[in-house]
Amino acid sequence: MDQQELIVQLQQGSESAFVRLVDEWQDMVYNTALGIVQNAEDADDIAQEVFIQVFKSIRSFKGDAKLSTWIYRITITKSLDHEKRKKRKKRFAFVQSLFGDGNEEETQPAEFNHPGVQMENKEKATGLLQALDRLPEKQKVAFVLHKLEGQSHREIAEIMKTSLVSVESLIARAKTNLRKLLTEYYKDKIIEPEKDPL
Amino acid sequence: MKKQEQINKLIEETLESLEGVARAEAKPFLMTRIRARMFRHTESAWDRAGWFIGRPAVLLTGLCLILFINAVVVVFNRQPGKAAPIEQLSQSPNDEFSYTVATIYDIENTQP
Repeated sequence: MDQQELIVQLQQGSESAFVRLVDEWQDMVYNTALGIVQNAEDADDIAQEVFIQVFKSIRSFKGDAKLSTWIYRITITKSLDHEKRKKRKKRFAFVQSLFGDGNEEETQPAEFNHPGVQMENKEKATGLLQALDRLPEKQKVAFVLHKLEGQSHREIAEIMKTSLVSVESLIARAKTNLRKLLTEYYKDKIIEPEKDPL
Repeated sequence: MKKQEQINKLIEETLESLEGVARAEAKPFLMTRIRARMFRHTESAWDRAGWFIGRPAVLLTGLCLILFINAVVVVFNRQPGKAAPIEQLSQSPNDEFSYTVATIYDIENTQP
């Protein structure tokens, strides 16, 4: 079954076509969402929402872009919405803590480890992902698509509906910002060895 | 100097730590969870309205609009040339020295 046929069957409401779609794209959706939200449970929730959205709005898919590009767009939108909701909740919790009795426990999110990272790189990748989480949205998305999904700059430009030059600029800026953030991170970690008094 | 070199080296290694990363796999039985969610999840109009109203931009705009309407109402209701009518503060002597007896007793006690 080629992609066009799959789309036609999905538009006719075929459940077997939907099962095939989920089978084929679930890892792509999950991995992208995981890169953005950096939480396995949330990424799983987002993956479910994405496929429900795909099922509901497949009739409006006109085929101007590839199906994968369209699914990537939905995944990115859902993941960023989730991030915004999370930030809103944090702000609200902060305001509540100002007016509360101070008994609320502040929960720090656990360090995120991407399951696909090689064992010897685990620690460094954790630092990198922490820094990545502090980048502006667009830079973060471009970096995730490039590094975690292995998309080319051209494909990223298509997914993000922007020009190739913009994507290159976004990734370059993301790397510059990551370098700055990592410098701070390592400055705190590395203690200069004490000089020999003699 | 040595520390800076060490940091630069670590940064380069960190930036390369995602090279060759494998794609994370979705948890098993995703399709089952999607099916369950599709049957369970029927977002009501109230949910959608709550989500919409809860957005900071909408909330702030709404608040500004209410304040603006209040200000407009206050400005338009204030008429500087017109003095407020002076209420009649003094009772007329007729009312004050009235010896009219409450008729309620007359109504209730009809018998002499």
